[in-house]
Amino acid sequence: MAEGVITLTIDGVPVSVPPGTLVIEAAKQAGVLVPHYCYHPGLEVAGVCRMCLVEIEKAPKLQIACATTVTEGMVVKTQTVQAKDARQGVLEFLLINHPLDCPICDQAGECELQDFVFQEGRAATRYGEFAKRFNPVEDFGPDILYVPNRCILCTRCVRFMEDLAREPVLNVSERGDRAFVGIHPDARLDHPWAGNVVDLCPVGSLLSKDFLHKARAWELDKTPSICTGCSQGCNISLDTREEVVVRVRPRSNLEVNQYFICDHGRMHYPWMNRGDRIEAPLVKHNGELRATDWEEAFDRVVTILRGAAGGGKAVAIVSPGASSEALALVKRLLSGFDWKGAFQVVMGDEAPLPGVPNLALRAERVPNAKGAERLGYTRDYAAALAAAATASVVFVLDDPDCGVQTAGALIYAGTVLPAESTCRNADVVLPIANVAEEEGTFVNRDGREQRYFPAKPAPGMAQPAAWVFGELVAAMGLAEAQR
Amino acid sequence: MAIGVKVMKRPEKDVSYLRATLKGMALTFSHLFRPKVTMQYPEEKSSKDWTLSSRWRGTHRMLTDEQGRAKCVACGLCPQICPANCIKLVPGEDEDGHRYPLIYEIDEFRCVFCGYCQEVCPEEAIHVGVHYENSEYSRDRFVYDLERLCAQTHPVSTLWDPSDPRGE
Repeated sequence: MAEGVITLTIDGVPVSVPPGTLVIEAAKQAGVLVPHYCYHPGLEVAGVCRMCLVEIEKAPKLQIACATTVTEGMVVKTQTVQAKDARQGVLEFLLINHPLDCPICDQAGECELQDFVFQEGRAATRYGEFAKRFNPVEDFGPDILYVPNRCILCTRCVRFMEDLAREPVLNVSERGDRAFVGIHPDARLDHPWAGNVVDLCPVGSLLSKDFLHKARAWELDKTPSICTGCSQGCNISLDTREEVVVRVRPRSNLEVNQYFICDHGRMHYPWMNRGDRIEAPLVKHNGELRATDWEEAFDRVVTILRGAAGGGKAVAIVSPGASSEALALVKRLLSGFDWKGAFQVVMGDEAPLPGVPNLALRAERVPNAKGAERLGYTRDYAAALAAAATASVVFVLDDPDCGVQTAGALIYAGTVLPAESTCRNADVVLPIANVAEEEGTFVNRDGREQRYFPAKPAPGMAQPAAWVFGELVAAMGLAEAQR
Repeated sequence: MAIGVKVMKRPEKDVSYLRATLKGMALTFSHLFRPKVTMQYPEEKSSKDWTLSSRWRGTHRMLTDEQGRAKCVACGLCPQICPANCIKLVPGEDEDGHRYPLIYEIDEFRCVFCGYCQEVCPEEAIHVGVHYENSEYSRDRFVYDLERLCAQTHPVSTLWDPSDPRGE
């Protein structure tokens, strides 16, 4: 027996785990999912739902796997008749007052009650003749609805607000079969991280108003991505339905965001679906931008860069929401110039989640400021804009509102081109994909490089910025192999 | 040099067509006195010997509640189960907060009339119908919208025998 390792058997599978591990976690390692509701790895153990009952050899009665720590030589059986009967009993109790309105419930398809009842619940009710308890839907907060009928009182939401958000506005009110999750009469569920209770809820009791009736769970395609809301770099999943991002959910990463994202990040997606995108490369002819193909646009950029090369000054105004790859390629494209690159950081209020160390909605509301800084871009935005006025070449990367004015050539690569933007004066406009449409990496405030993946196709001829600048670097003969 | 052809000599009763003709006529006329099996479609659509099966799966019908609203709650199971991908459904919320279909369209050209939509429907809203006369003057009329589906009056299919739901 190795030091600090406990070996036990779960359903006949031997596993070795560190001391203090809970049986339910050890079971996951053995490939056994013990049904559970109140247990969540990000929350304190409560042991209130009694769903994870398992048989442990030498224990006098069934134990709950979520509150039992492993011991050496323990033999756990999750599929014995006794354990299954007990869990079936728990499920029967949960369903006494559950409305079974799965067809209109947003959670259907990703509902743990649905899953476990299907897996090991009774086929039919024995309480058909009794009326179910009914409570009206409550409005808990700016984005949260509470449907008490569907609630199974796992208290995950209560514990999240109390232990992690440290704003204990929820409790379990009443008792017995009248119990429901209550909110303080003067309080709203408007903590900056309150939206997590919707994800934590194992059933469809806590609902997001934003997502209400938008899509069924099985219609969604999930793409791993990184939140662009701030410099924390929370891992998220972009849920798309028919190539439209309809919701953002946290993706667990114990070293960054654990299991949570803030409400700012959760709501930071509608711009990804914008319809007013640039869909074709534009090149200036006689003072007017005209749509063209990529080849002509690249030719024009190469002509501009070649014409201005040789000691000319160049300025790059970049978005700190661009991928590190795109930023690096812009830098290489301008490597023959006396260049200066800068970005602007949008600031907001910092909103920490007190129960989790080093997790907050950061004041810097941009995802890749660190990555841009590492590549030599500065925060000296005003100076760069001033320098742009006299530079021979100015690159703007997805920052249409920068208000840049220049006497030299202006090249704009971006997703949108608002009517009032000074980037309309550009010689070349290159349409690029946004974060939901390309693959790339962001560097978060702690220097962690994280990759994101495309969730939907880019509109029209738009291409990822890294591809655009990669082609330009190759056309300029600056690629690694060509040097 | 001529080729010698051998001409067979057969008995008269074997080569006469008269006998075969009379035999055929006899069979034809005998049918005049047998029971009639044809039906005068479209004046007659069923007879005592033949009706459309109650399990016939034809064009769809959406059932409505007492207020005349479609029973559908836009749960999304029928577009999910549909093997022909012929159902288009966009869910929405009405003024009372009830979930209902904003758009519900069935492309009857694409439909393979498997009846899965009826089988899967938890609200007993969408049904395949005991109905087969679907001709139209234009192709786009074959995409039935919610209003049209609710307005259908033909009987709905019984996918299984109610007295023996498991087919035992």
